[in-house]
Amino acid sequence: MTKRRIGITVEYIVLTIVSVISLFPLFWMLMSATNKSTDVLAGRILPGQKLIENMSNLLKTANVGQAMMNSFKYSVLTTVGSVLICSIAGYAFEVYYTKSKNMVFNLLLISMMIPFAATMIPLYTLFGKLNLLNKTLGFALPSLSTVLLIFLFRQSAQSFPKSIIESARLDGAGELRIFLEFFVPITKHTFTAGITVAFMSNWNNYLWPLIIMQSPTSRTMPQLISGLTSGYVTDYGMLMLAVSISILPTVVVFLILQKNFVEGITGAVK
Amino acid sequence: MKRKLSVLLIVAMLVTMLGSCGTASNNKGGKNNSKSSGNALTVWCWDKNFNIYAMNEAAKIYQKDHPDFKLNVVETPWDDVQTKLTTAVTSGQTGTLPDILLMQDNALAKNITNYPKTFVDLTNSGIDFSKFAQYKVALSTVNSKVYGVPFDSGTAVTALRTDVLQKAGYTINDFKNITWSRFIEIAKDVLKKTNIPLLSSQAGSPDLVMMMLQSAGTWTFKGDKLYISDNPALLKAIDVYVELVKSKVLVEVNNWDQYVGTFNTGKVAGAMTGCWILASVQANKDQKGKWAVTNIPKLDGIENATNYSSVGGSSWLVLSTSKNKDLAIDFLGKTFAGSTELYNTILPTSSAIATWGPAGTGSNYEIAHEFFGGQKIFQDIVEYGKNVPKVSYGVYNYEARDAIGTAITKIISGTDKAAALKEAESTVKFQMGK
Repeated sequence: MTKRRIGITVEYIVLTIVSVISLFPLFWMLMSATNKSTDVLAGRILPGQKLIENMSNLLKTANVGQAMMNSFKYSVLTTVGSVLICSIAGYAFEVYYTKSKNMVFNLLLISMMIPFAATMIPLYTLFGKLNLLNKTLGFALPSLSTVLLIFLFRQSAQSFPKSIIESARLDGAGELRIFLEFFVPITKHTFTAGITVAFMSNWNNYLWPLIIMQSPTSRTMPQLISGLTSGYVTDYGMLMLAVSISILPTVVVFLILQKNFVEGITGAVK
Repeated sequence: MKRKLSVLLIVAMLVTMLGSCGTASNNKGGKNNSKSSGNALTVWCWDKNFNIYAMNEAAKIYQKDHPDFKLNVVETPWDDVQTKLTTAVTSGQTGTLPDILLMQDNALAKNITNYPKTFVDLTNSGIDFSKFAQYKVALSTVNSKVYGVPFDSGTAVTALRTDVLQKAGYTINDFKNITWSRFIEIAKDVLKKTNIPLLSSQAGSPDLVMMMLQSAGTWTFKGDKLYISDNPALLKAIDVYVELVKSKVLVEVNNWDQYVGTFNTGKVAGAMTGCWILASVQANKDQKGKWAVTNIPKLDGIENATNYSSVGGSSWLVLSTSKNKDLAIDFLGKTFAGSTELYNTILPTSSAIATWGPAGTGSNYEIAHEFFGGQKIFQDIVEYGKNVPKVSYGVYNYEARDAIGTAITKIISGTDKAAALKEAESTVKFQMGK
């Protein structure tokens, strides 16, 4: 066996081990969704017969349909809004010149270090005064501008050929047209990555929806799952089924967009 | 054309979505959304099979004399209750708070002390607190004012697998009214003969030690003064815990799920904590008839040590921001502080054991429980509850508990006990700003 073949074999063994370790929690969750609570606690990792019973218990215990719809509505709204706003911001930071733009951008990056818990109460006070408690707008506003997404789109705009912008301007194209007809199609990988990151982040958002949306009819999936663990007795089979259902939309979004995700994250322009 | 159509579709979608932003989402919206008016009350609590069920049953009983009464129970996990309460009170947006909320006894004093104007003083509300177990009333009393209507009991119990004990030649009676040294002696023998430890605990959790502490009628504070490194009962309780771990009659696990799993799956043969654990004990139907309950061991050589204690439990609080304070007080007074029927109804399904004295006379309290081999466990636990020593958890209860939990972990790892407790004291003092 040549050195190269040994190297490849070791590489495959390592990758297989890492893949198994990474996928095991997902596999265990799916298997647990088919088992009864005591079997889950006993660490059973084989498929069980309790999927229908767990589903029936879950539907009796919690309004899964409503929570899924709420999560979907809020996630789509905030994802569309944040990608739109942050892409324009990232593009503008790179393409337009102002003396202070780098300073402003650095301030934005520094603001990433402030945990949300620190700004939550002032935000809540402000939104209360603006009468935005229990309003979808109140839910969405803090997520519409995300520094990470602005950074991502600025990185993408950096590798975007400036000559295209200049040529378009010479041909009389307006700034909005240049953005929509040149920047968006050419950097579609970045948009894909942005949509994936924003959707996952908004779908899993827990703290802000918890305090801003006080009505029981506005509960999202993370809140519903938290509720399932709050009793003195937890049905772990049912809980694992709820978690399995709750990750479905993020898995679907990721699978649809994964092809372009890595290129988008690296800021590739084609 | 295609591009124009795409842009048009995106714009249409955004307009539709942003249009929906201006409207409230499926509720009344804005300030006072969860506030009730007229004959309705809103309540926050967290367990469908336990306190939510109890609240809904209370509403049915109250509705018999008040047909127009409406109750809106909002399922809110305990951690969320604390987060929402803190956010609302700190920001001054109290319009979102309910009329009544359920609070863990461990957090009562701190919340009432931090937000005194948020809760209604119930001392002269007409509710007769002398009929409740006095250790429960003491937990919701701050500056001689009673703020909470006690709900579920946290009376400590020792629940053991009788089939395992039998294999080792013991019965549940061998564990009744004993000391910790005797408990460890028997537990070692059971472990030797059956290879099954009697107890389990979450590593780093001070619950068992705090339970021992209250059984001796003391706590981590003496008035406002920290009482840790010079507290003989605490020193003894830590010695007992370390001995339990080192002799392997207590298995330490990493989290709550694993803790429940240890006795549900037969890895250990018992559980020792608040009586609310009995609901989890019963999760494995295969163990039906194989369990029994008795009181807890008492600390050897400690003055005032008893075989009774409390862990957990909760109480109902009325919010001063409620527009229906009088209705809320009347409702609690006629149900949780005045209805034997209520406690008798909720007991068989929820196992919510009352701390309201007259409730113990209900017929369901005399039921011989099949899971516990026909033992009248509810009656027994009510009796234990009458003997639980009164203590005051104080404002910095959670800080002290956490510091003691850390100290225990260090002591088990080999750190000197005195040094670990001094460090725990310094940590709490720092958090208290002293």
